[in-house]
Amino acid sequence: MIISKPKKTKIEWTKHLLISPALLFFVALTIFPLLFTLFLSLNFWAVSGEHHWIGLGNYIKLFQDSIFLTSLRNEFIFVIFGVLFEYIFGLLLALVLNQLTRGLRLIRLAVILPFAATPAVVGCIWKMLFDQSYGPIPDLLHKVGLTSPAWLTQPLPALFSIIIVDIWEWTPFMFLIIFAGLKSLPKEPFESAMVDGASSWRIFWDLTFPMLMPTTIVVILLRTIEAFKIFDIVFLTTAGGPGIATISTTLYAYDLGLRTGNLGYAAAMSIILLIIVVLILNVFLKTIEWVRRRSVLQKREEALK
Amino acid sequence: MKSRGLGYFITRFFLVVWVIFALFPLYWTLITAFKTPIQIYKGPFYFPFIDFAPSTNSWQFIFFGDGRIDFLRGLLNSILYAFFSALLSVLLGSISAYGLARYSYKYGPFKNDNLNFLIVSQRIMPPIVAVIALYLIFKFLHLLDSGFGMILAYTWFNLPLAVYLLTNFFASIPREIEYAAALDGYSKFDQLRKVILPLAAPGLASAYLLSFFFAWNEFLMALMLTFRDAQTLPIIITTIRTQMEPKWWILSAIAVIALIPPSIVVLYLDKYLIKGTLFGGVR
Repeated sequence: MIISKPKKTKIEWTKHLLISPALLFFVALTIFPLLFTLFLSLNFWAVSGEHHWIGLGNYIKLFQDSIFLTSLRNEFIFVIFGVLFEYIFGLLLALVLNQLTRGLRLIRLAVILPFAATPAVVGCIWKMLFDQSYGPIPDLLHKVGLTSPAWLTQPLPALFSIIIVDIWEWTPFMFLIIFAGLKSLPKEPFESAMVDGASSWRIFWDLTFPMLMPTTIVVILLRTIEAFKIFDIVFLTTAGGPGIATISTTLYAYDLGLRTGNLGYAAAMSIILLIIVVLILNVFLKTIEWVRRRSVLQKREEALK
Repeated sequence: MKSRGLGYFITRFFLVVWVIFALFPLYWTLITAFKTPIQIYKGPFYFPFIDFAPSTNSWQFIFFGDGRIDFLRGLLNSILYAFFSALLSVLLGSISAYGLARYSYKYGPFKNDNLNFLIVSQRIMPPIVAVIALYLIFKFLHLLDSGFGMILAYTWFNLPLAVYLLTNFFASIPREIEYAAALDGYSKFDQLRKVILPLAAPGLASAYLLSFFFAWNEFLMALMLTFRDAQTLPIIITTIRTQMEPKWWILSAIAVIALIPPSIVVLYLDKYLIKGTLFGGVR
């Protein structure tokens, strides 16, 4: 006992030392800034350094601020439509590529390449593509005899454009994970379904889709968290315009915080964004838990019958 | 799907349309980098040599002309930050990941899984929350617009992912190998260096490349925490974009350069990404 004790304390020491860098960074660059931002949000705090305590003043002002409310509405539009279409396209691509035998690697690379693109570049490219006078998208639409909306300068087309860019940038991510999920499914159920002569539609609905459910939940969760951070695409294509039609919360916080210099107000805004993300995450996880439990109960009932 | 029915043609059609949709913007950037201003504003022109004569105008401008100073500074900064922050992330990340994979922790209610989740959960927080505070903290510490500050910020940005990925990799290496090495008389340090490190090399490489990738592509922090000397390539591009009459030909040339490293990383990681090894733990 006496001999083993010093050895144990040595291990204790090493292990605390090992995890310390990650925890140190966690505290210094996540917890501390988070608390500091929380503190900022309760103050009037100019970039110049002038500041005084105003309690919940910023938060009260925020809910009367129509720009902020518009930015929240836009966040939900971007997240819901972006994630929905990215999931649908990602799933379709994964299913189609899963059946491909020739040229798979090349097509797969073509599909995931947008994922590599630097976000700043993505925004600029699409700004060029959508340009009314010399961009190829309006030009090609005219050439096939369609009228092209003023993509980036009318409120509704502008929202639509941003969702298109988001789909372009993020579908590859969805595809990658869903494709990996498909690859990891067991082969036997599909083979026996084929032998039974099930249609591909039935195979998809009765086998593939339910078996992919865990993957689906994870990708949608990851993408939703990420989608709430939307900034670069909006900043570089429409800059939140026309007017404030496409402004996102991060963009508004950036504009206010650094341009007009009210860091406290921007901080309050980002805290609300964080709260929304965490709330949605919790609702999502609770729902999954509930569905899972229900299906387990159902199975148990069926087993009892 | 063996018979080439309607479904076959619909799926093939979808695939062709999607590949064009995915590649066209990149193609457009590439050809725009070889256009002259007139070819852009008179445009759009689609095919080099057929409807416009390519020129190396913008390439000369960024490598030898007036654009040289900004561009090369941005390029150097981007390379340095991505290189060193990825190195630090993997170094610090592997230390912590090794701890998490091999020892059991208990800090109050927090055990290994909680700690791992806590570290990953940092990525849930919208970066703007931290960046507003970081702006003031960096200002106070005189780290604004400095390379050191950016490397620090990017290390923080990538550390959670590195710890998460590497914990899985280390956990997949059986402990028994270490015990065997210990029996052979290897010291703890030699066990790590000669036995664990070579086994973990693919994991370390992937974590490094992914960290490099994310640091290279990062935008918001670079935008808020740098003004001039420490600007990265994405910010140089943004500066051109926000001018009254954007010089698209120059922007595209820089964009092509900016796209090269992350494309190589993705091409290289393709086989891991597709197997789901990198995101595998989340399933």
